[in-house]
Amino acid sequence: MSIKNLFRYWRTVITVAEITLRHQWNDSFILFAVLIQPMVIAILALFMLRGTGDNYAMFVIVGSGLTGLWSSLLFISGNSINGERWQGTLEALVAAPLPFDVIIFGKNLANVVQSLLSMTASYLLAALFFGYSLEMTLPLLFFSSVLLSIFAFISFGLIIAPLFIMYRGIQQWQNAMEFPVYILAGFLFPIALLPGWTTPISYILPPYWAARALHETSTGAGDLSTIIFAWGMMLLFSFIALFVASKLFKLMLYKARVDASLNTE
Amino acid sequence: MNTISVKNLKRIYKTTTGVIRRKTKEVEAVKDISFEISKGELFGLLGPNGAGKTTTTKVLTTLLIPNAGEVKINGLDIVKDANEIRKQIGFIFGGERGLYWRLSGIDNLRYFASLYHIEPEVSKKRIPYLLDLVGLKGRGDERVEGYSRGMKQRLHVARTLLHDPDILFLDEPTIGLDPVGAREFREVIRDLQAEKKTILLTTHYMFEADSLSDRVAVIDDGIIVALDTPSALKKHVRDLSVVEIETFGIAEIVVNKIRALPFVDAVSTREQDQRQVLLVQTERGAEAVPDLMKSLEGQRVGRVTVREPTLEDAYVRLVGGKS
Repeated sequence: MSIKNLFRYWRTVITVAEITLRHQWNDSFILFAVLIQPMVIAILALFMLRGTGDNYAMFVIVGSGLTGLWSSLLFISGNSINGERWQGTLEALVAAPLPFDVIIFGKNLANVVQSLLSMTASYLLAALFFGYSLEMTLPLLFFSSVLLSIFAFISFGLIIAPLFIMYRGIQQWQNAMEFPVYILAGFLFPIALLPGWTTPISYILPPYWAARALHETSTGAGDLSTIIFAWGMMLLFSFIALFVASKLFKLMLYKARVDASLNTE
Repeated sequence: MNTISVKNLKRIYKTTTGVIRRKTKEVEAVKDISFEISKGELFGLLGPNGAGKTTTTKVLTTLLIPNAGEVKINGLDIVKDANEIRKQIGFIFGGERGLYWRLSGIDNLRYFASLYHIEPEVSKKRIPYLLDLVGLKGRGDERVEGYSRGMKQRLHVARTLLHDPDILFLDEPTIGLDPVGAREFREVIRDLQAEKKTILLTTHYMFEADSLSDRVAVIDDGIIVALDTPSALKKHVRDLSVVEIETFGIAEIVVNKIRALPFVDAVSTREQDQRQVLLVQTERGAEAVPDLMKSLEGQRVGRVTVREPTLEDAYVRLVGGKS
């Protein structure tokens, strides 16, 4: 999607996000993806890291929040496209004169924003039940990182959406796509622990730079220059993701019109 | 210039089965279709299930790419200029799908208005106007899941009129509606006709096509078998009468036996509760009844009537008694 379209259709993006949120909060799966699963991961990690200090706890909280964010994008955004297909609305969306990626951007915005609840829930869990004293080391830079991370996750999610348009059976592969990103993006442990050959893959993932900026600003592990570098890389790879997504959307929508896969009938 | 122009349209569906030894099967849904619709005309497309009506509509609404042929709407090409065409058209596919059931009627319309880039100030006025137009005034705040089928269809009409398109595609819009709902819906279509909208209507109901359409194309097995005004189409069967015979549990073999009789032009059956009504088209009219009864010996037969042919009979004759 082009930045020009994002500015041109910002009102549409907001309306789509608002209505998507209203629609989704009637579905109990949201509770699982946004609250229950990240809290289970946070509890496990906090038990494992007991006695290792407040900084590690903050790392876990941010990391488990990020897992919620990614799961939400992967499952809810992905399933929502198949849901649209089943309820017969996908054709109406595709037949609208608006670029389709603008609609998906709005849907992803809704999912990412609601996923921030994961991070808040993990934070409260660590503070209230595990007794950690959690102070944000660089609060202003942390919140700036949160805003940039929202953009990074939405953009990365846009690359996956076209696959859901094209392939009705892709849901079977969703689980396989969940953990590699947790690991490669360094949500719960540093990527330095992984084999060296995986590092370049991590570097091209916008969620990796988002996780790095969030971890560094919340635990105080980084200085201003490394944080700004992480922001720059996050934006660079997010724009690349938007560009790739716009090409994929055009290709997949054309293919879906050739293969008649926009509907279940 | 015609508003809609379809020349030699062809559309094939491919399905594949198997993982290792993949087999591809091709189905030619639309073989070769050509027609034109002028501005403000209501054009009916009639045909049995699987004839290619919905496929044609989906190509015209930019949802399917044709395999061959040229399709233009207001001079714009359906493949190259899909985005520009989408601003000018609206469509309704029959049935209850295509709406967000967990949202209210108003939220559905707000959502679709945003997809057509309608400014919120405009949609705030347009949505109540449309709800009023389709008879949903006062019900817009309710969730769609609580709507009746007819209300959902009317919400579809409101949705499709949000951006005030000049061209409408209505694919079996009254399917599944009760008679009152269908009649109300036809009134909405008449209102749209009065507004000089160009409309392509596909329907199974002959009465609907007869009463609403300026011209009708009968499509069968992917090709157009007749295209004319409803009154001209009826002339195809002017020389025939229709014998209606009420039967109970008639076997296909008996129907085929009647179809093979030399004085029978076409035969179709209509399910009515637990009865099957045989509709036999014949030049002999009432004189054919004794011979027909002879062929039905051993069958349980009810009322027998002879009547003048309708557009439905013309349609049955054109599609070879497949309905």
